[in-house]
Amino acid sequence: MASAWCWSCLSRLRPTTRAVLPPPSAIPRLTSAPFHSSAVQYAPPLKKKSNSMTQLKYRQGQTLRRKKKKTVERARPPAPGERKALRKRIILSNPNALEVEGMQEISAENIVDARLRGSVLGLPVPMLDQLRAVQAFKPKQGWSIFRRPGAVVRRDTVEMGRLFEKISGEGDAAEKGKVVKKVVTGTKGSGKTVHLLQAMSMGFLKKWVVVTIPEARELVSGDTAYVPVEGSKPTQYIQPGATSALLMRTVEANREVLSGLKVSQKHDIAGVKPTSTLEDLAKLGFQDPALAWPVFKALWTELTASAAAPGMEKDFQTRPPMLVAVDGLAHWMHNSAYRDTDYKLIHAHDLVFVKHFLSLLRNGQAEMKNGGMLLYATSTSNSPGVYALEVALDQMTARQAGIKPTSPEYPSAEAYSNADPRVLDLFKPIEGKEPQMELQTLGGLTRDETRGYLEYFARSGLLREPVNENWVGEKWSMSGGGIIGELEKLGRHVRSAAIPTPAAN
Amino acid sequence: MPPRLNLFTAHKAAAALRQPASFASRNGASPLRFRSEQSASIQTRWNSSKGGKKVIPPEEQKFPTQDPLPHVSEEAAEVDRIMSKEKSCDGQPTAPELEQGTPVSEILSRDKEGMKHMPKVMQDQLKKGTRSFSTSARSRLPEIQNSQAEGDASAAMLASMIQGVEEQAAERIPGLKFAEPEAPRGTLNFRKRYDTMQDQFTKMLMQDGKLARAQKNMSIILDTLRTSSPPNIQSRRPLLGAPPAPQLPLDPVLYLTLIVDSVAPVFRIRQQKGIAGGGTAVQVPHPLTLRQRRRTAIKWIIDGSEKRRDAQLAQRVANELIAIAEGRSGVWDRRDGQHKIGISGRANLGLAPRRR
Repeated sequence: MASAWCWSCLSRLRPTTRAVLPPPSAIPRLTSAPFHSSAVQYAPPLKKKSNSMTQLKYRQGQTLRRKKKKTVERARPPAPGERKALRKRIILSNPNALEVEGMQEISAENIVDARLRGSVLGLPVPMLDQLRAVQAFKPKQGWSIFRRPGAVVRRDTVEMGRLFEKISGEGDAAEKGKVVKKVVTGTKGSGKTVHLLQAMSMGFLKKWVVVTIPEARELVSGDTAYVPVEGSKPTQYIQPGATSALLMRTVEANREVLSGLKVSQKHDIAGVKPTSTLEDLAKLGFQDPALAWPVFKALWTELTASAAAPGMEKDFQTRPPMLVAVDGLAHWMHNSAYRDTDYKLIHAHDLVFVKHFLSLLRNGQAEMKNGGMLLYATSTSNSPGVYALEVALDQMTARQAGIKPTSPEYPSAEAYSNADPRVLDLFKPIEGKEPQMELQTLGGLTRDETRGYLEYFARSGLLREPVNENWVGEKWSMSGGGIIGELEKLGRHVRSAAIPTPAAN
Repeated sequence: MPPRLNLFTAHKAAAALRQPASFASRNGASPLRFRSEQSASIQTRWNSSKGGKKVIPPEEQKFPTQDPLPHVSEEAAEVDRIMSKEKSCDGQPTAPELEQGTPVSEILSRDKEGMKHMPKVMQDQLKKGTRSFSTSARSRLPEIQNSQAEGDASAAMLASMIQGVEEQAAERIPGLKFAEPEAPRGTLNFRKRYDTMQDQFTKMLMQDGKLARAQKNMSIILDTLRTSSPPNIQSRRPLLGAPPAPQLPLDPVLYLTLIVDSVAPVFRIRQQKGIAGGGTAVQVPHPLTLRQRRRTAIKWIIDGSEKRRDAQLAQRVANELIAIAEGRSGVWDRRDGQHKIGISGRANLGLAPRRR
């Protein structure tokens, strides 16, 4: 019998699914009869969710109560002062770094040796305490990565060494008793502070008296006590605490020199005997800060004395030259943070301490009879912008370039710029009177000096690059023409090696 | 160097620029023609008589739909365009000749009188003989060179000298004419100037997107590694492939890399649900790439450093790193625990469903 289905239709037929009906478990079980709705209708109404805001019980507070966040148990914060100590810590040695073979120490003889240009001279270990005492090292400088502290000899260093020799009365062109006044400027990282440090080390080597103000800002930031000087017009102020600290620094660093010099003038200070040394005199100012300023004045007259007072000539010795180093000059060129009785800001030049050191800088001022050097450095890392100082430095540059103050090219403060007249007055030229102030602008190292400096990194084991002409030239350019701070970064900076990333395994 | 612009080929380009108006329509009809060529044999029909009719070759055959007139509206638009839009400034409808310009040679070909006075260049072109002069630098260059080389004895001597020097140079550096260029050291890309590992660590130290601060911290860490005393390495927990300990502080980046790589886990543990059934998650080890491994290790190191009491973040991390190098840190235990779970969980690797 022929089928009613044709072949193609049959082939299209699929086998029926395993179960046409869903398995019994898949059918939802109805709890009530499917055709009745009455059960749902008569079900008890749903309970309303209780809302605490609407349903208030009596004697219940209405304030919002929040759970306090649990404080996570953390490690105890560092003790007071610990952070600051860490910030101000100065490490001068890295025992892991390699000892540089054949490294010379700075000495009284080799400071004038021009052949040493470009080499790094180590600072002698006994001098480190003195340099620490005068706060020559600053925390942000990279002393801590080398085996021992040292500084590179550059052109300016050799020139300064010659000046030291000259003023000390040695060498061919000796000019004993000469006073050299310099304002040291330069771009950021050009080595102004280290230049001062080198000057101090030379001062110690030549047995000078070294007086330093490592942070000019500390005197005007309003952190130390100040007392008005009675009867002064306009009122001037003494800073006993800062003066006491200065005396301590000076005695600590120059103990050897000061203890060998006897008092040669008469002073109105209780406790000064004719036999006492200058160290004893300075120590009087340690205990009693009220005495600090008179003691400092006395010490200063002793150090600048060229002859003893009548009747005290017995133990008089000629006084050594002095080095005065100030870092951060711009802070002394504007209003300090101190206030007077009218609650007006006190100008920095009204602080006796500041005024004393600034008056030394004036053109033609020759108070230092025994000669010496004044190095007043500006700072670029922490410096208030003082327009008058900028103008004054520009004027000094122009004068050194041979432009007369009367010529139209001579720079002057712009009209209505409100430049501080006291600052301009301080730097004003006074013709015909020695000593004159000079401006020393520190620039970059030369290529040869750069090479010597970078070789020092390599020989200390910190730099793993072949130091050759090309590489040094590249770094010299990258450091803005041998700016030593940038070179230091390039030297210690750890670069990517040429090795590509290893393949993931 | 020959001039880049060859003036003698310019007239070809100009010809291409001034296409005749019919060109476009011919072009548009070409697909149809192509089809007609292809279907020539199909076109012969069974029910058509052969004799008594002129046989037209397929190229000349014309079909009623081959060149249809445009639609009425299109034609109107075209007329409108010619009559109204394309007008010269005096309002007269313009011819295409006025609009597009006619080549001078075409005008001159019509004008016999003008041909007498046309420029010499064009007259020479018409003659189709050899030109009396040439401005082409390229075509005559080899000729000039040859003639000079033949004629000038001193030039030949110079050439031989140059050749001799070049041969000498070739002997000195076999295979290269000039000194071999130096391969750049490191990388020139400023984004990749730091070591890969150092960069990754720095980025993970970064908080609130302050990269410069993180870099500063990283330099403090490297300086601490550089200045701290060489680590007392435990034999139980050595650094992988490290040089002797006293050498480590002198290469702080290598030191850091070794520390991180030594505590980096080889795999992470994935909690896989639905393998064992019953909703239980099964721990399955999953391999990590190098970067992922380092990332895990750095995360552990930074976590471990948070429990330290040093004031500075950089100091905490540095001290944790030194503790790892000396085998004192809890990061080692963390890695060991991870590996222990992974080893016990490797039996589950087959259970994991394959990802497609």
